[in-house]
Amino acid sequence: MSLASVDPLPSEAEAAPARAAPGLPRPALALLSGVLLVLAVAPFVLVFVISFGQNEDGAAWHWALVLENYQRFFVGLDYPDTFSTLYLERLWNSFLYSVLGALIAVALAFPFAYALTRRSRATQTLWLVLLLSALSLSEVFVVMGWDILLSNKSGLPMVFRETGLTQWLKDVGAFPILREWGLATPRNVRFKPSVFATLVSLTYIVWPYAVILLYAPLSRLDRSQIEAARTMGAGPFTVVRTVVVPAVRLPLIGATLLLFVYLLGVLVSVTVFAAPPEHTLTVSIADAVRGSALNAPFGAAQSVVLLVVASVFLLASLWLTRRAEATR
Amino acid sequence: MTARGLGSLWMAFCGLVLIGPIAVVSAAALNGGRTMAFPPEDPTLARFGDFFLHEPVWVRALSHSVTIAVGSALIATLIAWPVAYQLWRRESALSRALASLAALPFALPPIVFGVGLGFLWAFTGALGSVWAGVLSHAMLFAALPLTTISIGLQAIDRAHLEAAATMGASEATAFRTIVLPQTLPYTLSGFLFALILSFNEFVVIFFVSAASYATVTLQIFNSLRNGFTPTMAVAAILFIVVSLVVFGLIGRFGNLPRLMGADDSR
Repeated sequence: MSLASVDPLPSEAEAAPARAAPGLPRPALALLSGVLLVLAVAPFVLVFVISFGQNEDGAAWHWALVLENYQRFFVGLDYPDTFSTLYLERLWNSFLYSVLGALIAVALAFPFAYALTRRSRATQTLWLVLLLSALSLSEVFVVMGWDILLSNKSGLPMVFRETGLTQWLKDVGAFPILREWGLATPRNVRFKPSVFATLVSLTYIVWPYAVILLYAPLSRLDRSQIEAARTMGAGPFTVVRTVVVPAVRLPLIGATLLLFVYLLGVLVSVTVFAAPPEHTLTVSIADAVRGSALNAPFGAAQSVVLLVVASVFLLASLWLTRRAEATR
Repeated sequence: MTARGLGSLWMAFCGLVLIGPIAVVSAAALNGGRTMAFPPEDPTLARFGDFFLHEPVWVRALSHSVTIAVGSALIATLIAWPVAYQLWRRESALSRALASLAALPFALPPIVFGVGLGFLWAFTGALGSVWAGVLSHAMLFAALPLTTISIGLQAIDRAHLEAAATMGASEATAFRTIVLPQTLPYTLSGFLFALILSFNEFVVIFFVSAASYATVTLQIFNSLRNGFTPTMAVAAILFIVVSLVVFGLIGRFGNLPRLMGADDSR
């Protein structure tokens, strides 16, 4: 509020408090708060509370305040007799897949997004339509596509065999390495199930998202700095390295964090492309709550762990965005 | 090769990889048998008839998908409007808190929200009802119209509002004559974003439908163990075409670069 608007006619503001407070009337605000508390907050509260509940035989459970579900998650049910890290491994897998997928997607999306912002407005709109369509495409369809592309009979392995690439790989001695990585059978290359196939699918899912996230900061970039660097004789790659990347450093990190959180929730790619030892927390949550395991409190406890990890990274991303906006 | 040429080459390559899986799935819909062979064996268009007309599983699933997408997008927009308006009119702790709450479900992993909604609907006895699915998606995607409407509201010249107030217009009148018309394209964009994402979503619906009904994407997810079939590939074609048409319309009649955060002044 400026100084000039403080002094004159303070009595008028007191006389008409309703006009001094624009926006929704109180009952509407109360209703809105109620709706949001029930629909947006209550589910998370229930997950948290039920994670301390106790499972009964036959898919039932009752309210309780036990740490048994968390014990099972972190050290195993029979601790201290035995020590099980099964679910910690699941969490580690979630973390690893998400970190790698996010990093690869951002690395591949950055040059694309930069090139996109330098095209005409009409070209940008066309690409954005395609990107948004790919972005919103359900994970089941993405997995369906890569399932065919990586299948032994009609996908890349067939192409490898038919073009003689398989034979060439055998001739140059690269085959034993591929077999060691689980990417080949004695006869041909094989991509499913593998960490590679999972990562391809994960990267594909978040790549359009990465472009969209980087598109805004890159298109708001101060063009005069780039022009100045160019005039002084810097090549286009030097400009990207010394001007563009430092300018969007925070959005780059922020985008990686957001994609990481997004990938934590991915379910189908891992179910279809990863071997069971490489499954993630989302798979066992689905299994516990709606699948064969039927242990809702344990599913809730796993959800809480996932939620905590996601929240930490989400807050970090928010903090970075704030800082980026403050320094702009 | 110039840097711009390299840029174009990279964009073309990315475009190809982006379209690759979609193109392969689309071709797989032509298969005569039950396998997803590529190139398609024994090509036929019969799977389209199966999906849209003959197989009750898919016809029912599609009608659930449409009901939930349209219903939830409408309710998401209705939830988002007052939140965005309050935040714009009055920058207070309460309005900021409401906006954060409305955006929360979209920001966190959907599987956790789905598990929680499953509990919520189980307690209220609505688990497995279609309207619970509609409300679940509405809350999940309210963040999208919230964002687009906020962008639209920021574009309104506040001098117009002050002029209206000076001339004696009430807040309701100003809303009807100035705010609503100017933000209509943004409201529509937000509605369509929510619609498309709901159409494609299945994790939350998996938890709240409790196996009593299925949407198209959930039906595919449920059949994962038996493998994909060409009829499911028909669904993929339908879904990608709907997305392209809707986003194409937003791009044609709205301002996609601005919605995605590009600065108009440069």
